[in-house]
Amino acid sequence: MSREEEYKEMFYAEAFEHHEELDTLFTALEKKPEDRMVIDTIFRVTHTLKGNAMGLGFVEIAELGHVMEDIFSEVKSGKIELTKDLFTNLFKACDKMGELIEALKTGKRVSYKGIRTKLNVYLKTVTGNTEEYTAQAPTIAPPTENTVLLETTDNKPNGETSLQEKVETKALETEENSEDEIEEKPENSLASKIAFSDQVQVPVKKLDDLLNLVGELIIEKDTLVAKSIERGSRRGGEYSRLHRITSDLQYGVMDVRLVQIGFMFNKFHRIIRDVATIEQKKVNLKLEGTENEIDRNILKIMSDSLVHLVRNSVSHGIELPEERVAKGKPEEGTITLSAFNEKDTVLIKVSDDGNGINHDAILAKAIEKGIVSTAFAKQMSKDDILMLIFEPGFSNADKITEVSGRGVGMDVVKRATESIGGKISVSTEIGKGTTVSLSLPSSMAVKGALLFEMANQEFAIPLSYTEAVISLKKKDIHKINRGLMAKYLDKTISIVFINDLFKLDRIHQISENGHLHKSFNNIKDKEHKMDVLIVSYNDKYVGFVVDKLLQQKEIVEKTLASPLDNVELFSGATILGNGNVCMVMDIATILRNLFKENTNI
Amino acid sequence: MTMTDEIKEVTLEEIKKEVSSAQQEKIKSSERLQLIVFKLAGEEYALSIDDIKEVVITPGIAKIPQTPNYIKGVANIRGSIIAIMDMEERLNLIKEGKEAAGSYTLVIASEQYKLGILVKEVPNTLTTYASEIDTASNIMQFSALEKECIKGVATVDDRLIILVDIFKLIEIENLNKITTI
Repeated sequence: MSREEEYKEMFYAEAFEHHEELDTLFTALEKKPEDRMVIDTIFRVTHTLKGNAMGLGFVEIAELGHVMEDIFSEVKSGKIELTKDLFTNLFKACDKMGELIEALKTGKRVSYKGIRTKLNVYLKTVTGNTEEYTAQAPTIAPPTENTVLLETTDNKPNGETSLQEKVETKALETEENSEDEIEEKPENSLASKIAFSDQVQVPVKKLDDLLNLVGELIIEKDTLVAKSIERGSRRGGEYSRLHRITSDLQYGVMDVRLVQIGFMFNKFHRIIRDVATIEQKKVNLKLEGTENEIDRNILKIMSDSLVHLVRNSVSHGIELPEERVAKGKPEEGTITLSAFNEKDTVLIKVSDDGNGINHDAILAKAIEKGIVSTAFAKQMSKDDILMLIFEPGFSNADKITEVSGRGVGMDVVKRATESIGGKISVSTEIGKGTTVSLSLPSSMAVKGALLFEMANQEFAIPLSYTEAVISLKKKDIHKINRGLMAKYLDKTISIVFINDLFKLDRIHQISENGHLHKSFNNIKDKEHKMDVLIVSYNDKYVGFVVDKLLQQKEIVEKTLASPLDNVELFSGATILGNGNVCMVMDIATILRNLFKENTNI
Repeated sequence: MTMTDEIKEVTLEEIKKEVSSAQQEKIKSSERLQLIVFKLAGEEYALSIDDIKEVVITPGIAKIPQTPNYIKGVANIRGSIIAIMDMEERLNLIKEGKEAAGSYTLVIASEQYKLGILVKEVPNTLTTYASEIDTASNIMQFSALEKECIKGVATVDDRLIILVDIFKLIEIENLNKITTI
């Protein structure tokens, strides 16, 4: 489905609801014409309906909605009295509205001008001039949110308004007031058919629960298969059908949770406009790849970060118009938000054609703030220097402005990205601009992981961090300062015994003298072979020595709830086929700690 | 490894049934409290029945490195991953007799916390009245932990039952983590 079609589909579903709501409201109002609440609600609903229709260019609906809105604006102020005659016409207008909405699907032509004129007569009696009203149309246009996001303002669960998924199913919703409607409008033979929308709105919570259940189903299936293999069956072949169905179900549920990135990207028009106004800059937003899909929860987690990145681009990246002109660039800066799918990941890029990032300035700042030592700074590569902007406590803004410096630093962006197993990188060219790339998993539900065993217990490392699995003898590993190292391909990598890591009371003690040598020293045999799992993070490689490597597996990671929510070593846990709980290691945090200590020495 | 489906469980329904039959004997209308009573280090402790979701036979526990001693690890209870806490160690009680790992787990009913408490025997139920509970003001309290987490003492016949505020206990635990780690 193309984007336009999807918007149209959403508009249809929403307009459909609005129309039904109006039907009910008019009925209620006829019984109790003095009810101000109902009048206000009708005004609001017609306003939203008109706004949405206008935004998508459904002129007929917008025009009819506009007149109805105007009538109720006058009713609100008490200038128009709700007579029986007016009600008859309002009901007619409402039915026409329903037909117009239906016509979006059928493409049928609906004549609505008659009823519009009739309603305009009512307005005319109050104001004496119909034309004035039609002329006012553009000024009453609703705020952009309404047109872009197609949000209804009512009946949505808290906090979930912005990215509510729409689920397409043939729904059999019960219609509360259907009987009423039929009774109330005997003269309208056209309208006595009950129609159903093809879309259902589902609260995200329900989808989350559903996904959890599917996760548990998969675990149960694995348990069954594991048991049957134990009993000597040939690789659990009799469960192949179950396997297929669960996996179809899993992908089905995951698919329902996907939303088009465009829904979020479109919000940035407004955000950029606001920031640019404050900063007195001229910025144009370009969107690319908006049709790509991503899990709604991932978008939600990343939304603050993206807002931060975009704000940064406007306030630090793009130059003032005069500066740009002086440099021979177009006066108006461009920020590009792009997205594309790559296997199971979605790559989101925020690029600007601004001034770029000055490496020397960053380095100077980092030294001043004590993030790196002067000695270490000399050895840093350009890429290393760029990564410094993600260090906690680093903010390159010289002044704290209204826009940046709200406490959300780039380190928070990085942490949010990594918390969902994503990666972040920056590239910049002085004078040309900066690009921040976020590589995000398209779905959070299932990820590949490599399992290993320590002290007879299973642990997992997400595949997104694993590089290779090798076998090393003790003589291949060498002590260096407080750590250990070995050669892997043509690189020198650090070696850490997981056992030593687990024995620490807390992760910061890692630099304590000799701690990382303990397990190594205990091994006497020089030829002793060890399984080493090489992980990478930010181009830093570490080999973890584990007791035993197990298989690679798809896992459903669950985050740890309080009171374990601030355990540093692990990002979450999963339940294995045998029912055991398996902790998932937080490689980003561990490696960050390992290397933070290094840079400070 | 014991599979979850083979675990015999004391369901909450059974406990509640027991409680309600006990209730019928007393008709007093003072605020009635339903407690789940369990033994820690030889003394009786209790939680409100509303704080407990279910009682299960303790499943296999996966240890978590770098956590306090009283966190024994995590367990899979009906597909939820739940932290398992040893209350005796948490309250710094001296363990009696042999180190028998708790064979039952009381799963705390909470949206926010996922926690189970180890107990050695099947917990009992008890109905009492608010008037039977002494607030903790007459009890010596040496630490903030005791002060915050003990709601009072219920006297039933010649038994003394210590009422614990489990949520305070968890909150203090979180505080500790921030200050000491």
